[in-house]
Amino acid sequence: MVLGAPALIAAGCATFPDPATTRQIAETMVSEDFTAPTPALLKRLEQDRSQRICSRIGDAKLTQEEAAEVVQLARASIQYPASGRLVGDWKTGNTLAHDGAGDRIQGGRLEQRKENGGLCQNCHALAPDEINVGNVGPSLTGYGLQRGNSEAIAKLTYERIYNAWAYAPCSNMPRLGATRHLTPEQIAHLVAFLIDPASPVNKR
Amino acid sequence: MPVARSDIAVLAVVCLATWGAAPVLAQSADPLEVGRKMLAEDNPGELWIERGKTLFYQKRGPKDASLEQCDFGLGSGKLEGAAARLPRYFHDTDSVQDLESRLLSCMVRLQGFSRDDIVKRAISPAGSNGSDVEALALYITSRSNGMTMNISLSHQKEVDIYKAGEYLFYRRSGQTDFACVQCHGEASKRIRLQDLVHMTDKKGVQGVVSTWPAYRGMQFVVRTMQWRLSDCFWQMRLPELKYASDASIALTTYLHYQGNGAVIKVPGFKR
Repeated sequence: MVLGAPALIAAGCATFPDPATTRQIAETMVSEDFTAPTPALLKRLEQDRSQRICSRIGDAKLTQEEAAEVVQLARASIQYPASGRLVGDWKTGNTLAHDGAGDRIQGGRLEQRKENGGLCQNCHALAPDEINVGNVGPSLTGYGLQRGNSEAIAKLTYERIYNAWAYAPCSNMPRLGATRHLTPEQIAHLVAFLIDPASPVNKR
Repeated sequence: MPVARSDIAVLAVVCLATWGAAPVLAQSADPLEVGRKMLAEDNPGELWIERGKTLFYQKRGPKDASLEQCDFGLGSGKLEGAAARLPRYFHDTDSVQDLESRLLSCMVRLQGFSRDDIVKRAISPAGSNGSDVEALALYITSRSNGMTMNISLSHQKEVDIYKAGEYLFYRRSGQTDFACVQCHGEASKRIRLQDLVHMTDKKGVQGVVSTWPAYRGMQFVVRTMQWRLSDCFWQMRLPELKYASDASIALTTYLHYQGNGAVIKVPGFKR
Protein backbone atom coordinates (compact mmCIF):
# COMPACT_ATOMS: atom_id res chain seq x y z
CA MET A 1 0.00 0.00 0.00
CA VAL A 2 2.97 2.36 0.41
CA LEU A 3 4.56 1.54 -2.91
CA GLY A 4 5.99 4.97 -3.56
CA ALA A 5 7.05 5.94 -0.06
CA PRO A 6 10.80 5.29 -0.12
CA ALA A 7 11.27 6.97 -3.50
CA LEU A 8 9.32 10.02 -2.41
CA ILE A 9 11.16 10.48 0.80
CA ALA A 10 14.48 10.04 -0.97
CA ALA A 11 13.52 12.72 -3.47
CA GLY A 12 12.56 14.99 -0.61
CA CYS A 13 9.71 16.54 -2.54
CA ALA A 14 6.63 15.26 -0.76
CA THR A 15 5.90 13.09 2.23
CA PHE A 16 3.05 10.89 3.27
CA PRO A 17 0.79 12.70 5.72
CA ASP A 18 0.15 11.06 9.08
CA PRO A 19 -3.12 9.12 9.42
CA ALA A 20 -4.83 11.93 11.36
CA THR A 21 -4.13 14.44 8.58
CA THR A 22 -5.33 12.02 5.92
CA ARG A 23 -8.45 11.37 7.93
CA GLN A 24 -9.12 15.09 8.21
CA ILE A 25 -8.60 15.70 4.48
CA ALA A 26 -10.77 12.75 3.49
CA GLU A 27 -13.55 13.47 5.98
CA THR A 28 -13.75 17.05 4.64
CA MET A 29 -14.33 15.53 1.21
CA VAL A 30 -17.04 13.28 2.61
CA SER A 31 -18.85 16.24 4.12
CA GLU A 32 -18.52 18.47 1.02
CA ASP A 33 -18.58 16.23 -2.02
CA PHE A 34 -21.94 14.47 -1.83
CA THR A 35 -25.52 15.60 -2.31
CA ALA A 36 -28.84 14.16 -1.18
CA PRO A 37 -32.49 15.18 -1.50
CA THR A 38 -32.71 15.81 2.26
CA PRO A 39 -30.21 16.54 5.06
CA ALA A 40 -31.33 13.34 6.79
CA LEU A 41 -30.25 11.28 3.77
CA LEU A 42 -26.88 13.02 3.73
CA LYS A 43 -26.33 11.60 7.21
CA ARG A 44 -25.99 8.15 5.67
CA LEU A 45 -22.35 9.06 5.10
CA GLU A 46 -21.71 9.51 8.80
CA GLN A 47 -20.02 6.53 10.38
CA ASP A 48 -21.11 4.92 13.61
CA ARG A 49 -18.53 3.63 16.06
CA SER A 50 -18.51 0.11 14.58
CA GLN A 51 -18.12 1.35 11.02
CA ARG A 52 -15.13 3.43 12.08
CA ILE A 53 -13.51 0.44 13.74
CA CYS A 54 -14.25 -1.76 10.74
CA SER A 55 -12.76 0.67 8.18
CA ARG A 56 -9.27 -0.75 8.33
CA ILE A 57 -6.89 0.25 5.58
CA GLY A 58 -5.13 -2.49 3.64
CA ASP A 59 -4.26 -5.55 5.67
CA ALA A 60 -4.48 -3.81 9.06
CA LYS A 61 -5.81 -6.35 11.55
CA LEU A 62 -8.59 -5.84 14.04
CA THR A 63 -7.27 -5.92 17.61
CA GLN A 64 -8.95 -8.22 20.13
CA GLU A 65 -10.31 -5.20 22.00
CA GLU A 66 -11.77 -3.73 18.82
CA ALA A 67 -13.37 -7.03 17.84
CA ALA A 68 -14.86 -7.37 21.32
CA GLU A 69 -16.30 -3.86 21.16
CA VAL A 70 -17.86 -4.45 17.75
CA VAL A 71 -19.41 -7.70 18.97
CA GLN A 72 -20.72 -6.00 22.09
CA LEU A 73 -22.26 -3.11 20.14
CA ALA A 74 -23.78 -5.58 17.70
CA ARG A 75 -25.34 -7.71 20.42
CA ALA A 76 -26.82 -4.63 22.04
CA SER A 77 -28.34 -3.51 18.73
CA ILE A 78 -30.48 -6.57 18.06
CA GLN A 79 -34.23 -6.11 18.28
CA TYR A 80 -36.81 -8.82 17.73
CA PRO A 81 -40.22 -8.61 16.02
CA ALA A 82 -43.00 -7.25 18.23
CA SER A 83 -44.86 -10.55 17.75
CA GLY A 84 -41.89 -12.47 19.16
CA ARG A 85 -42.00 -14.78 16.13
CA LEU A 86 -38.55 -15.16 14.61
CA VAL A 87 -39.72 -17.43 11.79
CA GLY A 88 -42.02 -15.85 9.21
CA ASP A 89 -43.21 -17.02 5.82
CA TRP A 90 -40.59 -18.61 3.56
CA LYS A 91 -42.43 -17.58 0.37
CA THR A 92 -42.29 -13.94 1.34
CA GLY A 93 -38.66 -14.50 2.32
CA ASN A 94 -37.96 -16.02 -1.09
CA THR A 95 -39.24 -12.92 -2.86
CA LEU A 96 -37.35 -10.68 -0.49
CA ALA A 97 -34.08 -12.61 -0.93
CA HIS A 98 -34.26 -11.99 -4.68
CA ASP A 99 -35.09 -8.30 -4.39
CA GLY A 100 -32.09 -5.99 -4.69
CA ALA A 101 -33.92 -2.68 -4.87
CA GLY A 102 -34.91 0.12 -2.55
CA ASP A 103 -33.49 3.22 -0.92
CA ARG A 104 -31.01 4.21 -3.64
CA ILE A 105 -30.47 7.88 -4.45
CA GLN A 106 -30.19 9.12 -8.02
CA GLY A 107 -30.92 12.34 -9.87
CA GLY A 108 -31.78 14.06 -6.60
CA ARG A 109 -34.45 11.50 -5.77
CA LEU A 110 -34.78 8.68 -3.29
CA GLU A 111 -35.98 5.33 -4.64
CA GLN A 112 -39.04 4.99 -2.45
CA ARG A 113 -40.71 1.65 -1.95
CA LYS A 114 -42.91 0.22 0.75
CA GLU A 115 -39.94 -1.79 1.91
CA ASN A 116 -36.40 -2.57 0.81
CA GLY A 117 -35.24 -5.74 -0.89
CA GLY A 118 -33.19 -8.22 1.11
CA LEU A 119 -30.22 -8.20 -1.33
CA CYS A 120 -29.31 -11.86 -0.50
CA GLN A 121 -29.10 -13.05 -4.12
CA ASN A 122 -26.43 -10.45 -4.89
CA CYS A 123 -23.88 -12.23 -2.72
CA HIS A 124 -25.13 -15.71 -1.76
CA ALA A 125 -25.96 -18.93 -3.59
CA LEU A 126 -29.57 -19.80 -2.67
CA ALA A 127 -31.63 -22.63 -4.21
CA PRO A 128 -29.52 -25.44 -5.72
CA ASP A 129 -30.76 -24.82 -9.28
CA GLU A 130 -30.18 -21.07 -9.28
CA ILE A 131 -27.49 -19.69 -11.55
CA ASN A 132 -27.93 -15.94 -11.21
CA VAL A 133 -26.42 -15.64 -7.74
CA GLY A 134 -23.31 -13.95 -6.39
CA ASN A 135 -20.43 -15.42 -4.41
CA VAL A 136 -19.18 -12.53 -2.27
CA GLY A 137 -20.68 -14.29 0.75
CA PRO A 138 -20.80 -18.02 1.54
CA SER A 139 -23.32 -20.31 -0.16
CA LEU A 140 -26.62 -20.66 1.67
CA THR A 141 -27.74 -23.65 -0.37
CA GLY A 142 -28.97 -26.34 1.99
CA TYR A 143 -28.71 -23.98 4.98
CA GLY A 144 -31.59 -25.63 6.83
CA LEU A 145 -30.65 -29.16 5.74
CA GLN A 146 -27.31 -28.75 7.48
CA ARG A 147 -28.57 -27.02 10.61
CA GLY A 148 -32.18 -28.04 11.08
CA ASN A 149 -34.93 -25.65 12.10
CA SER A 150 -34.79 -25.70 15.88
CA GLU A 151 -35.60 -22.62 17.94
CA ALA A 152 -31.89 -22.12 18.64
CA ILE A 153 -31.06 -22.18 14.92
CA ALA A 154 -33.89 -19.76 14.18
CA LYS A 155 -32.57 -17.33 16.77
CA LEU A 156 -28.99 -17.62 15.58
CA THR A 157 -30.06 -17.10 11.97
CA TYR A 158 -32.21 -14.12 12.88
CA GLU A 159 -29.37 -12.49 14.80
CA ARG A 160 -26.83 -13.15 12.04
CA ILE A 161 -29.04 -11.36 9.55
CA TYR A 162 -30.03 -8.57 11.92
CA ASN A 163 -26.44 -7.86 12.85
CA ALA A 164 -23.82 -10.18 11.37
CA TRP A 165 -21.10 -8.43 13.34
CA ALA A 166 -22.40 -9.99 16.57
CA TYR A 167 -20.81 -13.22 15.31
CA ALA A 168 -18.29 -12.06 12.71
CA PRO A 169 -17.10 -8.57 13.65
CA CYS A 170 -16.40 -6.36 10.63
CA SER A 171 -17.31 -9.04 8.09
CA ASN A 172 -18.48 -7.89 4.65
CA MET A 173 -22.09 -8.75 5.50
CA PRO A 174 -24.24 -5.65 6.03
CA ARG A 175 -25.91 -5.31 9.44
CA LEU A 176 -29.26 -5.41 7.71
CA GLY A 177 -31.47 -4.98 10.76
CA ALA A 178 -29.22 -2.73 12.82
CA THR A 179 -28.84 -0.22 9.96
CA ARG A 180 -32.61 -0.31 9.38
CA HIS A 181 -32.24 -1.59 5.84
CA LEU A 182 -34.68 -4.36 6.76
CA THR A 183 -37.39 -4.53 9.40
CA PRO A 184 -37.50 -7.27 12.07
CA GLU A 185 -40.54 -8.78 10.31
CA GLN A 186 -38.69 -8.94 6.98
CA ILE A 187 -35.77 -10.65 8.67
CA ALA A 188 -38.12 -13.25 10.17
CA HIS A 189 -39.31 -14.03 6.61
CA LEU A 190 -35.69 -14.50 5.54
CA VAL A 191 -35.12 -16.83 8.49
CA ALA A 192 -38.03 -18.96 7.26
CA PHE A 193 -36.61 -18.90 3.74
CA LEU A 194 -33.33 -20.30 5.10
CA ILE A 195 -34.55 -22.92 7.58
CA ASP A 196 -38.01 -24.05 6.47
CA PRO A 197 -37.77 -27.61 5.04
CA ALA A 198 -40.19 -26.56 2.27
CA SER A 199 -38.04 -23.62 1.13
CA PRO A 200 -36.24 -23.93 -2.24
CA VAL A 201 -32.96 -23.34 -0.38
CA ASN A 202 -33.43 -26.76 1.26
CA LYS A 203 -34.44 -28.66 -1.85
CA ARG A 204 -32.41 -31.84 -2.22
CA MET B 1 -24.92 8.71 -34.13
CA PRO B 2 -24.84 6.52 -37.21
CA VAL B 3 -25.62 3.35 -35.27
CA ALA B 4 -28.99 3.41 -33.58
CA ARG B 5 -29.65 1.78 -30.26
CA SER B 6 -31.87 -0.90 -31.71
CA ASP B 7 -29.26 -1.90 -34.30
CA ILE B 8 -26.67 -2.48 -31.64
CA ALA B 9 -29.06 -4.54 -29.58
CA VAL B 10 -29.97 -6.69 -32.57
CA LEU B 11 -26.32 -7.14 -33.43
CA ALA B 12 -25.52 -8.22 -29.92
CA VAL B 13 -28.34 -10.73 -29.84
CA VAL B 14 -27.31 -12.19 -33.19
CA CYS B 15 -23.70 -12.52 -32.05
CA LEU B 16 -24.65 -14.23 -28.84
CA ALA B 17 -27.11 -16.55 -30.52
CA THR B 18 -24.55 -17.61 -33.13
CA TRP B 19 -21.88 -18.21 -30.56
CA GLY B 20 -24.26 -19.96 -28.22
CA ALA B 21 -24.49 -22.77 -30.72
CA ALA B 22 -20.77 -22.98 -31.38
CA PRO B 23 -18.78 -25.75 -29.69
CA VAL B 24 -16.17 -23.27 -28.46
CA LEU B 25 -18.62 -22.08 -25.84
CA ALA B 26 -18.90 -25.47 -24.24
CA GLN B 27 -15.11 -25.83 -24.09
CA SER B 28 -14.49 -22.50 -22.42
CA ALA B 29 -13.78 -22.48 -18.71
CA ASP B 30 -15.88 -19.35 -18.39
CA PRO B 31 -18.73 -19.22 -20.89
CA LEU B 32 -19.57 -15.65 -19.89
CA GLU B 33 -16.10 -14.54 -20.91
CA VAL B 34 -16.69 -15.73 -24.48
CA GLY B 35 -19.73 -13.52 -24.87
CA ARG B 36 -17.94 -10.54 -23.42
CA LYS B 37 -14.99 -11.00 -25.77
CA MET B 38 -17.28 -11.28 -28.77
CA LEU B 39 -18.99 -8.01 -27.93
CA ALA B 40 -15.74 -6.23 -27.19
CA GLU B 41 -14.32 -7.03 -30.61
CA ASP B 42 -16.86 -4.78 -32.24
CA ASN B 43 -16.89 -1.92 -29.78
CA PRO B 44 -19.52 0.70 -30.65
CA GLY B 45 -17.63 3.11 -28.38
CA GLU B 46 -15.23 3.72 -31.27
CA LEU B 47 -17.89 5.96 -32.76
CA TRP B 48 -17.55 8.37 -29.85
CA ILE B 49 -13.84 9.00 -30.55
CA GLU B 50 -14.42 10.80 -33.82
CA ARG B 51 -17.14 12.89 -32.24
CA GLY B 52 -14.86 13.81 -29.35
CA LYS B 53 -12.16 14.84 -31.79
CA THR B 54 -14.56 17.12 -33.66
CA LEU B 55 -15.70 18.67 -30.40
CA PHE B 56 -12.11 19.22 -29.30
CA TYR B 57 -11.06 21.19 -32.39
CA GLN B 58 -14.35 22.98 -33.01
CA LYS B 59 -14.71 26.60 -31.94
CA ARG B 60 -17.50 26.44 -29.37
CA GLY B 61 -19.07 28.17 -26.41
CA PRO B 62 -19.62 31.85 -25.57
CA LYS B 63 -15.93 32.56 -26.25
CA ASP B 64 -16.01 30.75 -29.60
CA ALA B 65 -12.80 28.88 -28.84
CA SER B 66 -11.53 25.36 -29.40
CA LEU B 67 -9.88 23.28 -26.67
CA GLU B 68 -6.50 23.36 -28.43
CA GLN B 69 -5.06 25.63 -25.74
CA CYS B 70 -6.10 23.28 -22.96
CA ASP B 71 -3.14 21.97 -20.98
CA PHE B 72 -3.68 18.47 -19.70
CA GLY B 73 -0.32 18.47 -17.99
CA LEU B 74 2.12 18.08 -20.87
CA GLY B 75 1.61 21.52 -22.43
CA SER B 76 -1.17 23.29 -24.32
CA GLY B 77 -2.96 21.00 -26.70
CA LYS B 78 -0.52 18.14 -26.18
CA LEU B 79 -2.72 15.10 -25.81
CA GLU B 80 -0.41 12.17 -26.53
CA GLY B 81 0.25 10.45 -23.23
CA ALA B 82 -1.51 13.13 -21.17
CA ALA B 83 -4.24 10.84 -19.84
CA ALA B 84 -1.59 8.33 -18.74
CA ARG B 85 -0.31 10.89 -16.23
CA LEU B 86 -3.68 11.91 -14.77
CA PRO B 87 -4.76 12.79 -12.12
CA ARG B 88 -1.98 15.29 -11.42
CA TYR B 89 -1.39 18.66 -9.78
CA PHE B 90 -2.02 21.81 -11.86
CA HIS B 91 -0.55 25.15 -10.85
CA ASP B 92 -3.24 27.31 -12.45
CA THR B 93 -6.03 25.74 -10.41
CA ASP B 94 -3.78 24.84 -7.46
CA SER B 95 -5.43 21.45 -7.28
CA VAL B 96 -5.10 17.84 -8.31
CA GLN B 97 -7.38 17.16 -11.26
CA ASP B 98 -8.46 14.10 -13.16
CA LEU B 99 -9.15 14.19 -16.88
CA GLU B 100 -12.78 15.17 -16.50
CA SER B 101 -12.29 17.94 -13.94
CA ARG B 102 -9.44 19.33 -16.08
CA LEU B 103 -11.66 19.23 -19.13
CA LEU B 104 -14.30 21.07 -17.15
CA SER B 105 -11.80 23.79 -16.18
CA CYS B 106 -10.84 24.29 -19.82
CA MET B 107 -14.41 24.37 -21.09
CA VAL B 108 -15.17 27.07 -18.53
CA ARG B 109 -11.97 29.12 -18.90
CA LEU B 110 -11.29 28.81 -22.60
CA GLN B 111 -14.75 28.39 -24.05
CA GLY B 112 -16.83 30.26 -21.50
CA PHE B 113 -19.28 27.47 -20.78
CA SER B 114 -21.07 27.50 -17.44
CA ARG B 115 -19.68 24.90 -15.08
CA ASP B 116 -23.11 24.03 -13.73
CA ASP B 117 -24.49 23.46 -17.22
CA ILE B 118 -21.69 21.10 -18.17
CA VAL B 119 -21.90 19.18 -14.90
CA LYS B 120 -25.66 18.81 -15.26
CA ARG B 121 -25.22 17.12 -18.65
CA ALA B 122 -21.90 15.39 -18.08
CA ILE B 123 -23.42 11.98 -17.44
CA SER B 124 -25.89 11.29 -20.23
CA PRO B 125 -29.12 9.32 -20.02
CA ALA B 126 -28.90 5.63 -20.98
CA GLY B 127 -29.65 5.05 -24.64
CA SER B 128 -28.90 8.65 -25.58
CA ASN B 129 -26.27 9.97 -27.96
CA GLY B 130 -24.05 10.70 -24.99
CA SER B 131 -22.69 13.96 -23.62
CA ASP B 132 -19.95 16.20 -24.98
CA VAL B 133 -17.84 15.48 -21.93
CA GLU B 134 -18.14 11.72 -22.45
CA ALA B 135 -17.04 12.01 -26.08
CA LEU B 136 -14.21 14.43 -25.26
CA ALA B 137 -12.95 12.31 -22.35
CA LEU B 138 -12.85 9.27 -24.60
CA TYR B 139 -11.09 11.09 -27.45
CA ILE B 140 -8.46 12.58 -25.14
CA THR B 141 -7.83 9.26 -23.37
CA SER B 142 -7.63 7.45 -26.72
CA ARG B 143 -4.63 9.63 -27.54
CA SER B 144 -2.83 7.69 -24.81
CA ASN B 145 -3.75 4.30 -26.26
CA GLY B 146 -0.79 1.94 -26.14
CA MET B 147 0.92 4.06 -23.51
CA THR B 148 1.67 3.09 -19.94
CA MET B 149 -0.19 4.51 -16.95
CA ASN B 150 2.40 6.47 -15.02
CA ILE B 151 1.03 8.58 -12.19
CA SER B 152 3.60 10.31 -10.05
CA LEU B 153 3.09 11.54 -6.52
CA SER B 154 5.58 14.37 -6.43
CA HIS B 155 3.56 17.40 -5.33
CA GLN B 156 2.39 17.33 -1.71
CA LYS B 157 -1.22 17.74 -2.83
CA GLU B 158 -0.86 14.64 -5.02
CA VAL B 159 0.37 12.62 -2.07
CA ASP B 160 -2.37 13.99 0.18
CA ILE B 161 -5.19 13.23 -2.24
CA TYR B 162 -3.77 9.78 -2.96
CA LYS B 163 -3.85 8.92 0.74
CA ALA B 164 -7.35 10.37 1.03
CA GLY B 165 -8.41 8.14 -1.86
CA GLU B 166 -6.99 5.11 -0.11
CA TYR B 167 -8.84 6.11 3.07
CA LEU B 168 -12.11 6.46 1.15
CA PHE B 169 -11.62 3.11 -0.56
CA TYR B 170 -11.74 1.46 2.87
CA ARG B 171 -14.27 3.79 4.54
CA ARG B 172 -17.47 1.90 5.46
CA SER B 173 -20.75 3.76 5.88
CA GLY B 174 -24.46 3.69 5.17
CA GLN B 175 -27.09 1.03 5.62
CA THR B 176 -25.11 -1.57 3.68
CA ASP B 177 -21.93 -0.98 5.70
CA PHE B 178 -20.03 -0.94 2.42
CA ALA B 179 -16.77 0.62 1.41
CA CYS B 180 -15.28 -0.10 -2.03
CA VAL B 181 -13.22 -2.95 -0.62
CA GLN B 182 -16.24 -5.02 0.45
CA CYS B 183 -16.89 -5.85 -3.21
CA HIS B 184 -13.46 -5.23 -4.72
CA GLY B 185 -11.03 -6.73 -2.23
CA GLU B 186 -10.99 -10.38 -3.30
CA ALA B 187 -10.35 -12.39 -6.44
CA SER B 188 -13.03 -14.18 -8.50
CA LYS B 189 -16.03 -12.58 -6.85
CA ARG B 190 -19.36 -11.76 -8.46
CA ILE B 191 -22.49 -9.77 -7.70
CA ARG B 192 -25.05 -12.18 -9.12
CA LEU B 193 -23.39 -13.06 -12.45
CA GLN B 194 -21.40 -9.85 -12.80
CA ASP B 195 -17.68 -10.14 -12.19
CA LEU B 196 -16.27 -7.80 -9.58
CA VAL B 197 -12.83 -6.41 -10.27
CA HIS B 198 -10.23 -7.35 -7.68
CA MET B 199 -8.85 -3.87 -7.09
CA THR B 200 -6.41 -4.61 -4.29
CA ASP B 201 -4.59 -6.78 -6.82
CA LYS B 202 -2.15 -5.11 -9.24
CA LYS B 203 -3.44 -6.89 -12.36
CA GLY B 204 -7.04 -6.32 -11.35
CA VAL B 205 -6.70 -2.60 -10.83
CA GLN B 206 -4.65 -2.26 -14.01
CA GLY B 207 -7.58 -3.71 -15.91
CA VAL B 208 -9.73 -0.91 -14.50
CA VAL B 209 -7.53 2.11 -15.00
CA SER B 210 -6.66 1.25 -18.60
CA THR B 211 -10.20 0.73 -19.89
CA TRP B 212 -12.21 3.85 -18.99
CA PRO B 213 -13.97 5.58 -20.70
CA ALA B 214 -15.78 2.47 -21.83
CA TYR B 215 -18.81 1.54 -23.88
CA ARG B 216 -21.50 0.21 -21.56
CA GLY B 217 -23.48 -2.42 -23.44
CA MET B 218 -26.55 -2.33 -21.23
CA GLN B 219 -26.86 1.45 -21.49
CA PHE B 220 -25.75 1.93 -25.12
CA VAL B 221 -23.48 4.83 -24.22
CA VAL B 222 -19.87 5.59 -23.41
CA ARG B 223 -19.32 5.97 -19.69
CA THR B 224 -16.42 7.60 -17.87
CA MET B 225 -14.63 6.91 -14.59
CA GLN B 226 -16.68 9.65 -12.92
CA TRP B 227 -19.81 7.75 -13.86
CA ARG B 228 -18.36 4.45 -12.67
CA LEU B 229 -17.63 5.86 -9.23
CA SER B 230 -21.01 7.56 -8.87
CA ASP B 231 -22.81 4.36 -9.86
CA CYS B 232 -21.04 2.45 -7.10
CA PHE B 233 -22.18 4.99 -4.49
CA TRP B 234 -25.72 4.65 -5.83
CA GLN B 235 -25.69 0.88 -5.33
CA MET B 236 -24.21 1.38 -1.86
CA ARG B 237 -27.30 3.47 -0.98
CA LEU B 238 -25.09 6.47 -0.26
CA PRO B 239 -25.70 10.10 -1.25
CA GLU B 240 -24.71 11.16 -4.76
CA LEU B 241 -21.05 11.78 -5.47
CA LYS B 242 -20.61 15.27 -6.93
CA TYR B 243 -19.23 15.23 -10.45
CA ALA B 244 -15.51 16.05 -10.57
CA SER B 245 -15.41 16.51 -6.79
CA ASP B 246 -12.24 16.07 -4.75
CA ALA B 247 -13.57 12.81 -3.33
CA SER B 248 -13.99 11.43 -6.86
CA ILE B 249 -10.52 12.62 -7.86
CA ALA B 250 -9.05 11.13 -4.67
CA LEU B 251 -10.46 7.68 -5.50
CA THR B 252 -9.28 7.95 -9.10
CA THR B 253 -5.80 9.05 -8.00
CA TYR B 254 -5.60 6.10 -5.62
CA LEU B 255 -6.72 3.60 -8.25
CA HIS B 256 -4.62 5.04 -11.08
CA TYR B 257 -1.48 5.06 -8.96
CA GLN B 258 -2.12 1.45 -7.91
CA GLY B 259 -2.57 0.64 -11.59
CA ASN B 260 0.66 2.24 -12.78
CA GLY B 261 2.21 0.17 -15.55
CA ALA B 262 -1.10 -0.67 -17.22
CA VAL B 263 -1.25 -0.16 -20.98
CA ILE B 264 -4.13 2.10 -21.90
CA LYS B 265 -6.66 0.74 -24.37
CA VAL B 266 -9.91 2.67 -24.73
CA PRO B 267 -12.77 2.53 -25.25
CA GLY B 268 -13.11 -0.40 -22.89
CA PHE B 269 -16.18 -2.57 -23.18
CA LYS B 270 -18.35 -3.24 -20.17
CA ARG B 271 -21.56 -5.20 -19.88
